[in-house]
Amino acid sequence: MKTNLLWVEKYRPKKISDVVGNELAKTELINWLQSKRHKKKGVLLYGPAGVGKTALVNAASNQFNFSIIEMNASDTRTEKAINKIGKPATSFIALDTFSSERRGNILFLDEVDGVFGRQDRGGIKAIINIIKESLIPVVMAANDVDQQKLRPLKKVCQMIRFQQIRIPLIITTLRKICVAENIQAEFEALERIAQNSLGDMRSAINDLQSIGEGKQFLKLQDTAFLTVRNKDVGMYDTLKGMFSSETIGDSAMVLNRSNVNYDDFLLSFSDNLPLRYRNPTDLATAYDLVSRADMFRGRVGTDNWHLLRYFFNFLAEAATVSPKSYKSFDLIYPPMRIMKLFWTKGKRTNLENICAKISLRCHVSQNTAKTDMIPYIKMMIKKQKSSSIISWLKLEPNDVDFLLKLNDL
Amino acid sequence: MTINEEIMWVEKYRPKTLDDIVDLSHVVESLKAFLKNPHSMPHLLLAGIPGTGKTTVALCIARQLFGEKWKSFTLELNASDERGINTVRDRIKDFSRYGRTGFGEAPFSLIILDESDQMTGPAQTALRRIMETSSRTSRFILICNYSNKIIEPIQSRCAIFRFSKLDKVAMIDHLKKIAKTENLRLLDAAAERIVEYSEGDLRHAINALQTTAAYQKDVIDEQTVLQVFGEASPRQVQMMLNKALSGNFIEARKMMYDLIGQYGFSGSEIVRQIQRELIKIPHLSDSQKAELTDIIGEYDYRMTQGANSDIQLSALLAQFSKFGK
Repeated sequence: MKTNLLWVEKYRPKKISDVVGNELAKTELINWLQSKRHKKKGVLLYGPAGVGKTALVNAASNQFNFSIIEMNASDTRTEKAINKIGKPATSFIALDTFSSERRGNILFLDEVDGVFGRQDRGGIKAIINIIKESLIPVVMAANDVDQQKLRPLKKVCQMIRFQQIRIPLIITTLRKICVAENIQAEFEALERIAQNSLGDMRSAINDLQSIGEGKQFLKLQDTAFLTVRNKDVGMYDTLKGMFSSETIGDSAMVLNRSNVNYDDFLLSFSDNLPLRYRNPTDLATAYDLVSRADMFRGRVGTDNWHLLRYFFNFLAEAATVSPKSYKSFDLIYPPMRIMKLFWTKGKRTNLENICAKISLRCHVSQNTAKTDMIPYIKMMIKKQKSSSIISWLKLEPNDVDFLLKLNDL
Repeated sequence: MTINEEIMWVEKYRPKTLDDIVDLSHVVESLKAFLKNPHSMPHLLLAGIPGTGKTTVALCIARQLFGEKWKSFTLELNASDERGINTVRDRIKDFSRYGRTGFGEAPFSLIILDESDQMTGPAQTALRRIMETSSRTSRFILICNYSNKIIEPIQSRCAIFRFSKLDKVAMIDHLKKIAKTENLRLLDAAAERIVEYSEGDLRHAINALQTTAAYQKDVIDEQTVLQVFGEASPRQVQMMLNKALSGNFIEARKMMYDLIGQYGFSGSEIVRQIQRELIKIPHLSDSQKAELTDIIGEYDYRMTQGANSDIQLSALLAQFSKFGK
């Protein structure tokens, strides 16, 4: 039987039980959809491509009879566009809830890690607003949630992680399709396709269709032309891959394939170096290379993208200073800097306010106030808590408390 | 000001007239000549290390030009706080253009730009034009640590005065004078210690003196001075350095993040502090210090090229830990 349908469409799961693998994630999503009161109003499904995130949402909609209002990366998603579709969809409970057996709507935003660049200005903010105000459940899906821009979104969502599908499950599914398509397939051929897909069900089915459609028999040699797909590699896998590579070339390849944000990546790379190299000499060499990479990152700026290859190269070299000493270790993520600065932001603002007051009174810059005046002022206040210097500098009681608690420089 | 009211001594004893200024006779003489005929006064560029009296000189000039109402004729800006081109375009331009001429006997309005070497390149370029067009209504006093960070066109529009390290004897005299007014007995040894540790920076010296006075009434001895300097020195920076130099990179880096997180220092400020504290480390030989300074310089430069100063700082600390091993 020959049809014009893509097999991935034709065999798209109709029921939740048809969705293969990721049982934990499945239960979690279903519980979330069925619960009346959600702790968090949005849910973000994340994981590599082709593991059934979209399929699960569609299957669930079939089974529970609700309709999906969908928006994906192919739609422009500026703040305006999102509000135009999302606002009405989420602020009214649709009329057909009452007129038919339909149970309601959900808003499904696919590929939220997609294109929030300059074109999609304000998109994330709009999504967060919609999640907050929404009367209906909001489900989102993304591949790479390590990006900095998604951080605010992650805070308001329940995160559900999807993993690669295990190879045997893929083989079973492929075999079912073969039976339905009347193909007699060698087990080895299917195994080869499944392995080649690296746990991506969609690509496995596509591969099967490309070499098997219309055939009566599928043999191992038919799979010879399958090429390894370029996988989108996330932050974690990129770091792991680069550090465990044996040659500069391999390491550079990992970075090349990944589409991590380079600035975030550079910070994380630097955070993990001391865990990778225990030997100070290796560590210093590696850091020197990272520092050069950073210089090139600076030179690339926003327009000299051709300089990026040197950035790749230096990082690859830094990852393979002594390949033989590699031992698996727990990667640090997200970047320490961001964590540190996030927790201490309030403190810094306090300090800056105090410095501004000193700077006004003593004719010095805020930085000089910070380094040259604060240490002395702090000691004086400590000694004489009611010193009139406090009022002269126009410091409030909470400023004084802050100074007294401030760690010494 | 009532007698009981305590204020920061750096302000209390900031000279009010050029005659009171400590140890800057060559600068003061030429400035006085300008002030005899204010219309002849050019723009001024005062350059020199911190705590040598540059800001004080500028404020004295303002006071002497405008008398008690000097504040209404003077715009005092700190370029390191407001260093972008917008400040130049908005505040400075407006002030210089609508100078308060005609409202009194003042010949022009005065704009004091402290730490002007922190101004960005574009801001300096914008400033250069303003200095020219507004010379009828206003004068600029630019204050900086390094005059070579000021673009040449601005330098050529200014009379440049260099402030060198203050003379030890003059500093000791000044400290003693303050002590006397405050009814303190400042012992010779203590005064010398203060001057030695503050490295020709009078602001440091006076701050230290005042802090010591808070610790000890009446007599100030060497012991207390040492205690104050010990507590006021940037121990976190020292500890970070020591950790790095003993090969403990991870701890050193953690302290670096503490510094950035707590104080919000920029990368180059941390490098500056590292460099300052490095020189004081007793157990390193001069050639070792030179070697380490070379490393600092290299990464300080890379910081200007790079995208993220954290990376360069980490790399610097890694080099130090390698050195210390």
